[in-house]
Amino acid sequence: MKKQNLIYVLKVVFLILLFSFILDKIVFFSLNKISDRVYTGQSIGKLNQFLNIKDTTKLLIFGSSRANHEIDPTLLTNSGFNMGVDGRAIAYNATLIKLLPKLKKQIILLHIDPENAFKKNYKGKDLDALIIKYNRNKIIRNEIDKLKQDNIFQKFYWSLCYNGKLLGILRNYLFPKYNYKKYFGYDPIFPTEIQKKIFYNKLKKKRKIICKENFKINKIYNDYLNEIKEFCKKNNKELIIFTSPVYNDRCKTDNKIFNEIMKQKKIKYFDFTDFFKNNNKLEYWKDEEHLSNKGAVLFTNKLKKIIEFYTCKL
Amino acid sequence: MLFNSVDFVVFFFIVFILYWLLNNNLKKQNLLLLISSYIFYAWWDWRFLSLIIISSLIDYTAGLKIHNSNNQKERKRWLLVSLIANLGLLSIFKYYNFFADSFTELMSSLGWNPGDITLNIILPVGISFYTFQTLSYTIDIYRKQFKPTNDIISFFTYIAFFPQLVAGPIERASNLLPQIEKKRVFRQDYFNEGILQIFVGFFRKIVIADTLGVYVDTVYSNIEIYNSTTIVLATVFYAFQIYYDFSGYSDIAIGTAKLLGFKFNQNFNLPYFSKSLTEFWRKWHMSLSYWLRDYLYISLGGNRKGIKITYRNLMLTMLLGGLWHGSSWNFIAWGGIHGVVLSVEKYLKSLKIIPIPKKISFLGYFATFLVVLLSWIFFRAQNLHSTVLAIKKIFEFDLSRPFIGDINVVVNSLIVVLIGIGFDYYLYKSNKDLETLGKNYSVQKISMIVTMIIILIILFYSNSNNFIYFQF
Repeated sequence: MKKQNLIYVLKVVFLILLFSFILDKIVFFSLNKISDRVYTGQSIGKLNQFLNIKDTTKLLIFGSSRANHEIDPTLLTNSGFNMGVDGRAIAYNATLIKLLPKLKKQIILLHIDPENAFKKNYKGKDLDALIIKYNRNKIIRNEIDKLKQDNIFQKFYWSLCYNGKLLGILRNYLFPKYNYKKYFGYDPIFPTEIQKKIFYNKLKKKRKIICKENFKINKIYNDYLNEIKEFCKKNNKELIIFTSPVYNDRCKTDNKIFNEIMKQKKIKYFDFTDFFKNNNKLEYWKDEEHLSNKGAVLFTNKLKKIIEFYTCKL
Repeated sequence: MLFNSVDFVVFFFIVFILYWLLNNNLKKQNLLLLISSYIFYAWWDWRFLSLIIISSLIDYTAGLKIHNSNNQKERKRWLLVSLIANLGLLSIFKYYNFFADSFTELMSSLGWNPGDITLNIILPVGISFYTFQTLSYTIDIYRKQFKPTNDIISFFTYIAFFPQLVAGPIERASNLLPQIEKKRVFRQDYFNEGILQIFVGFFRKIVIADTLGVYVDTVYSNIEIYNSTTIVLATVFYAFQIYYDFSGYSDIAIGTAKLLGFKFNQNFNLPYFSKSLTEFWRKWHMSLSYWLRDYLYISLGGNRKGIKITYRNLMLTMLLGGLWHGSSWNFIAWGGIHGVVLSVEKYLKSLKIIPIPKKISFLGYFATFLVVLLSWIFFRAQNLHSTVLAIKKIFEFDLSRPFIGDINVVVNSLIVVLIGIGFDYYLYKSNKDLETLGKNYSVQKISMIVTMIIILIILFYSNSNNFIYFQF
């Protein structure tokens, strides 16, 4: 290649990198401005609200959709927030817990489904949801880097954290879905007639289930449980891990083994899988794993008693 | 190796540097291309490299034998060797299980059960493409339209050249081989055109096609539960998904080749801006449609043997063209629909009825799109049963609100597809080709345009799927 051609190629490549780097930062900082004012919506709004209230709230609930839809923090305390989000698991929740203020006394309720704790292929993918704060929060960045959940280009193109989120941000910015000041993170489920029908039909079908007997806790899960325990111990947090009710759990070994692991780790753990076993009504459920609002109220009240018994007056 | 992977970015960066460093030595440069092409293919499965090598070896020998012989019988024999070897490999790997299954079903319906005679075979990526490419070489030599090469490295490179190895464009030897045998010179206009086309290709693939694919996959994986409007919407999305997926791949392939100093032929030329199906096939997957025309339709007699034979040839070409895409009755039916409509168009044209008034000629765009849309149902559905179900559902005319699911997915899909269509409309109206769009752009302009595309990709890209045409 002639020298002039080489210079030409380098010039084009350099300019593309330079222009795209600059434009990326303009887009990134502009979107930061907008997204920081978004307080509605599950992926960004709720996270922003959590970051705003985390230092002043007494009780925080973490977990997946089961936590989100099944625990009403207003029934537990006047200073609580439910940070449960659909599809999130231990990596996401542990990272949020690590963001809590040091030394402030707080109660942490963390929902864990034992079945997930034993998944071999869990790699912390749920941490993706925090990528939006990757370039702005050291703790989040460290956790994402640790599990290698970042995009290889993320360090150069910061706007990548807004991939697929732009329209959602704009929609929630321009048309907030609800008044976030009256929102405490709990999203009750009021099953529709169709949902009820689907659930009832599903129950009619008798499915054969083969229960596994050998369980080994996922390494990432195990490490995070240890880290959460350590963090809470050092920073004056009361940690309670629990498993919410399931309509009809036919495999018990995972629950038993998880219970054992919690005992060994000396973590307070309550397994409510069979909470409704002796008093089960279809109206308590949206599906086999998610409680309706009615079921959620009953369950929250039970949880309140347990927490009060084992910790202190809320 | 996928174009839309970090592996490929690193791979191409290394190849690009080494390639131009070896610019003064054509043989070494071609050897580099051959080795890198084999690495590119082996990244997927090194065992199937043997098929490419066998195919290349047979056709290299057959080409020379055909050319050097004055005996017509011997020439024909060597052509048959090439045809049987290449189509034989293709048949075993791609069609054996399909025909075995169909045979079993047919026999079962006649009361005899031959048992399971299928084999556990993996379809080698790109086999349909390189088989057609290598066949064109021996056929052209047999027809005395092309002289074979003596340089084995050049020939092997022609078959395995990585930008077009796994999903085309199916380059003719007459276009690509002379470029491989001649010293390449770095050209700034090629560089501009190539870099722009690569980024447009990435946008088309990972932004438009993959975003649309999310909705399409949801609907088509459970077709029985959706209403008419949902299935129509999913099919419209699929029409654009497959177009942007495959044209995006072709753009990256053509652009990549240009960065190495090669010029491929255009593979897509805004096919949805067609007023007839005949026009559509001049613009859609052009390297395949012209291949089918030149080596199948014309070989069968084309339109030289009377009107009936012409229609037969057209139908056969389209049916086999359908079968080329995959071993399923769906693809044959898809080809059949196109064959029938092309025949009808040919018949209407032969009647020489009064020309359609200009004012309503635009309706041709919609009519063509509707036919193509209907045929895409055959292409996308899992099997004939799902296809029939989808068509039945559409004609139930349940016009209630379509299923939306994740609103972000649908809104994103609509936005990105509108960007894609808008860009295509600009090219169509301004009578420009993407292949040469960047030719005269200044360094600043090309950098700015690529930057804009990068930002759009960053904000809107969807988790990448395999290229649809890899399965063919």
